[in-house]
Amino acid sequence: MSLRSPLGEALGRGAAKAGVHHWWVQRLTAIALVPLASWFAVSLLAMPAHGYATVVAWVGEPWTAVLLLLFVVTAAWHSQLGVRVVIEDYVHGCGMRTVLLALSTYLHVLAAAAGVFAVLRVALGGAA
Amino acid sequence: MAEFRLPANSRIRTGVTHQAPPGTREVRTFRIYRFDPASGENPRLDTFELDLAECGPMVLDALIRIKGSVDSSLTFRRSCREGICGSCAMNIDGVNRLACTTSLHDLGRQIRIYPLPHLPVVKDLVADLTQFYAQYASVKPWLQTQTPAPPDSERLQSKEEQEQIDRPAACILCACCSTACPSYWWNSDRYLGPAALLAAYRWIIDSRDEATGERLDALEDPFKLYRCHTIMNCTDVCPKDLNPAKAIAEIKKMLVQRQS
Repeated sequence: MSLRSPLGEALGRGAAKAGVHHWWVQRLTAIALVPLASWFAVSLLAMPAHGYATVVAWVGEPWTAVLLLLFVVTAAWHSQLGVRVVIEDYVHGCGMRTVLLALSTYLHVLAAAAGVFAVLRVALGGAA
Repeated sequence: MAEFRLPANSRIRTGVTHQAPPGTREVRTFRIYRFDPASGENPRLDTFELDLAECGPMVLDALIRIKGSVDSSLTFRRSCREGICGSCAMNIDGVNRLACTTSLHDLGRQIRIYPLPHLPVVKDLVADLTQFYAQYASVKPWLQTQTPAPPDSERLQSKEEQEQIDRPAACILCACCSTACPSYWWNSDRYLGPAALLAAYRWIIDSRDEATGERLDALEDPFKLYRCHTIMNCTDVCPKDLNPAKAIAEIKKMLVQRQS
């Protein structure tokens, strides 16, 4: 039970002076993902075959590699921003929320790093 | 975590049925949420059958009829009965609206009436709006200026400037919008909700106000403002046809614009 005034509760700890950047970058990445995701889907569909050699050759093309890198990084970034919102919406314990936000950030960075490494390795000829 | 199920002592049981007297011409069935904290019992859903020919055309008329001639313990708020005081906001057939401006003829034969969702219930259809009003107060809904008022006239606005605040200022604080918002359900302790944000917007765009920057500063917060994900339930239910979702979007736009 709290005897704090309702206004005190509503004012809380004040405004965090944050959120604008998150909101704006979420929109920017969403806009960027429209052409990137479309290009990715169309390219896969337009590929004559989906065998190992064809795909490795496709990833090895300079523009393909550059766009794939952008796609992987943008998608991971956008997803991290989105998952953050979901956690903030539904997880209420401060400790649990902090742990999940940290975990989600680590996992997204891991996924992005793995994706970038995979593209570079194939594109730069490291793949067996 | 967010609560998706009512706590055990809030789960609703079947209540009593008050049948219409024989010879009733036009029967309407009202299933109404009842809760009396003094009884220590769980809430229940009472059924009232009413002769439509014997009461006025609105849901509020039916409630007054029930209170007057069937069960005087039925508790609800009402005052102006013309959609300007906002007292009789409740959840009618799953939609938050004003009982006084909702016509019985627009509803089916069975009408379900609950208090506004996800608020503590004081009694029956009366929800506790303490937090809602405190959030409204927290946005400082009054004119703030540094320039002293003209000694012999009002602070003037052009016609266009007045039109900017004309609609947002028509909010009656009935709480239909905020209590229709899932973000407000899950995070009302920190999210201000559409009604308070519409009020904040009304003062942000007021051409006479000189605290615009401070007002925007006070909203720049992941929870106070950015819990809004623009699902527009608020605009959907507003009984005054206002657009809180657009007001919130405009606030977000202003916050981005002032950065570059």
